[in-house]
Formats: sequence, C-alpha cells, structure tokens
Amino acid sequence: MTNCDTIREKIGSWLDGELNAHDSESVRAHLLDCGACADARRQLEKLNLTLNEQLNAEAAPVDFPAFWRAVQQRIEQKRSWHEVWLERWRELASAPKIAWSVPALIALVLAWFSIESFLPGWRAAPRNNFAAVESIDAHGRSVALLRENETKTTVIWLYQDQEGDNETAEDETKSGPAF
Amino acid sequence: MKLLKTRRNRVLLFSLSLVSLAGLGAAAEKNPQSVLVTIRSILAANQSDEFDAKLKGMEQQLKSLKYRSYRSLKDDSKTVPWQGTQSFEIPGGRILSVAPQEYQNNRISLKVRLTENDKPVVDTTVRIPNKGNFILGGPPHEGGALVLSISAATN
Repeated sequence: MTNCDTIREKIGSWLDGELNAHDSESVRAHLLDCGACADARRQLEKLNLTLNEQLNAEAAPVDFPAFWRAVQQRIEQKRSWHEVWLERWRELASAPKIAWSVPALIALVLAWFSIESFLPGWRAAPRNNFAAVESIDAHGRSVALLRENETKTTVIWLYQDQEGDNETAEDETKSGPAF
Repeated sequence: MKLLKTRRNRVLLFSLSLVSLAGLGAAAEKNPQSVLVTIRSILAANQSDEFDAKLKGMEQQLKSLKYRSYRSLKDDSKTVPWQGTQSFEIPGGRILSVAPQEYQNNRISLKVRLTENDKPVVDTTVRIPNKGNFILGGPPHEGGALVLSISAATN
C-alpha cells in the first residue's frame, strides 16, 4: 500500500476531526504536497456538502420536537392492570389457540371416563366397599342380611327351617349367630 | 407435505389426532377376560375358643358373626370366564356354583347358587368390589355353622 493510499483512507476521518494530532498533521502535510490526494479531498468535501443539503431538505418538514415528546409520553405512561389482562386475554383467545383447547377438552372428558380401564378401582373403590345383594332366594328358608360397618362386610346368613335339612343341626345353628 | 403447510391444517390435524387417541383410550374400557373366584370354607362353632391361624386376615370379618371358634376347612380358587359357571365342592356334600355376570364401576356381579344333595339352598346375585368378598353362612356342619367367604378379582 502506497503512502497516498494510506492518506486517502484517512481523509474522511481527518475532515471529521477524528484523527489524533500526529496523524492529522501528517495528512495535512501530505495534502499540501500531493495534488492527487488534494483532488480526492475536494471530491470528498463536495460529496459531504451535497449529502448535507439533501438531508436538510428532507428533514425540514418533520416536527421532531413533537415526535420526541410523543415517544417520551408513551415510555412514561403506566398501563392499568385491566389493560394488561385484556391484552393477555386477547393473545390467549386468538383463534388458533382456542382451536387447541376444544380437542384438549374432549380428550380430558374421554380420559376421565376411560381411566378406569388403566387404573382399575381408583374411582369406585373408596366410595363403598360393601357388597350389594341384588337378589336372593333362600327357597323357603329364613335369611338374614348383615352389613358390618367396621370391615365393610356383607353377610348373608341362612337359618335352618323348622324341619331341618339333611344335616343334623344343633340348637346354636338353628338360632344362628348373635349379630 | 402439502397438508401441513398452513397453520389451520396443522391445528386441525393435531386436533383429530388428540380426539382419536382419546377415543382409543375410551374403547380400551371393557370387561376383563375372566374372574378369579376364591371360596374359603370355614367352620364356625362354639365348642372351643380356637381361631385358626390360616384365617388371620379375616379375623375382623369373622368376629362379627359372634361365634367362639373358627376353623379353616378348605380353600379353593378357580378362574371363571364371564357368563361362564364354575362349581366348587363345599364340605358337607354341598356344591357352590359361581357365575360372573358383568364388571362395572370396579364391581363384579356374581350369580351364586348353593346346592345340597342337588337341592337348591340359596340363589343370590351379589355385586362385590373387585378383589373384595362377601360371606354366605348358616348351613349346619359338624356341630357348628358353615361360613363361606366368596371373593372375586378380575384377571
């Protein structure tokens, strides 16, 4: 890289006043001696001037003070709690998300009714452990039905009829147990 | 895949999969294939204060009958298919026939018939909790009373 190339790279920074004193002095001295680099400086200054004029022409109609005041106001404004919740609800209730909840609800309902097949007894067992007698025919004999609360036991007790059955029964069995 | 290109299609497809899975789960709820029926024959009497050690698990249940002694006579277990019938020989020449009817809400419905010398003694239908039992007692036996613990568990 020649000295001119190095200097031309620094001309932009030099014009903006971004170089340190040593570099700034070396660029200034070179531009005094080198016509090509001095031309490059003039072109760059001309470009800068054109850009500035164009930018100023575009920005003039914009009311920057009002714009910045509005931005400042939005930053400082504190939203109320119901506005925050409303916004969250709107996000949740957007159509695609609601669509997910419908099959999920159906799946939950079906799972509730089918869970018995996967976990037998989880639902019914704690409710009532008594056996339920739906029908009974003792063919003319006396019969007693006992439900013992402590052990949740259902007892069907048959009493001997007066004529007795085939087996010789003693008095105690004729009367049956004292429930 | 064309079907998965739009968001709506993806949501619909996922929904259908969920419902299908749940439906499969619901269809899985059906009667177990068979029932293991266990009959314990016990002699309850008042001649002594003996309590058979084999009956330890049933002590509280039997105590409600207020006899003084309890002796295990026989234990018998058989697998019975739904709507099928199995017969159990009971001391004293009796036969106990058990026919599981249906399984609902974790309860097994059992049709039970006790016969003695081919004569029916009792016919009953009892709905017991799965793995639960009930007691059928009273027929006289060896100076005491025969007590049958009838339990059932799904297979």
